[in-house]
Amino acid sequence: MAIDTRHVGRRYGPFRTTVCAERIQSFALVVAGGVPGYFGPARDEPHPPSDRVAPPTFGVTFAMEPFALACSDPELGLDLLRLLHAEQEFEHGAPVRPGDVLTTLGEIVDVRSKGSLDFMTVRTETVNQDGERVLVARWSAVIRN
Amino acid sequence: MKTLAEFHEGDTFESTREADRYRPVFYAAVSGDFNPIHIDPDVGRAAGFPGAILQGMCTMAWLADVCTAYLGDPARVKRLRVRFSRPVVVGDVVTFRGRCVAVEGPVVRLEIEARNQRGEEVLKGASAEGWLEAG
Repeated sequence: MAIDTRHVGRRYGPFRTTVCAERIQSFALVVAGGVPGYFGPARDEPHPPSDRVAPPTFGVTFAMEPFALACSDPELGLDLLRLLHAEQEFEHGAPVRPGDVLTTLGEIVDVRSKGSLDFMTVRTETVNQDGERVLVARWSAVIRN
Repeated sequence: MKTLAEFHEGDTFESTREADRYRPVFYAAVSGDFNPIHIDPDVGRAAGFPGAILQGMCTMAWLADVCTAYLGDPARVKRLRVRFSRPVVVGDVVTFRGRCVAVEGPVVRLEIEARNQRGEEVLKGASAEGWLEAG
């Protein structure tokens, strides 16, 4: 069933997150096998250096909430068992570092159908405590009818 | 760290990652994506897959990591774009093959293929841009 286009423009947030060095380190431990610098040589440095920039898709930790809420929004009524993440874009701005306070707003910017597939796209924009843009992301879901 | 002059059109890079059985749980813990389709094999099967499927964002994080290793610094990774063309299921091994397609001023353009152990593409149209300081 096609998603009603009246949902375009629906907003989620703002959501506020404080970036924490330990979370950057945990994230890096799980996904950043190829990049040195997040850990000391013998793991004897428990934290990444305070000026260490977060890995490029760390934005999932602070910018995914609007997309997750749109996917499970009762107003849209999407079937989560038929829903998959379809496309993703990140455009990074100012680097994200431990201690940053980030604010994210999201908006449904597109709904469309293609054959038996429905698509929904949420755009999020995240700024830091200085008002600098750190991330613009587009999150697209596909619903397989 | 590599300087801009050391990046060339035609450079290639490659890396392999395994979606071991704990990977979706580990990724859920650090990302906050606890959608049960990634955690519970029964939910994965109910959705039509052989079991739990890996978060697409984890595959993208691997891709970003492979690009970061080539570019030399996470702060250089400016843009990332992917289409998730096939789910990565627990047990899959994903090989990323990247290529520098252009160096335009301070911008290094990359295209990346990601295939599972059966040679099937799990990402389509994956691209990245590295932005470097000149000099």
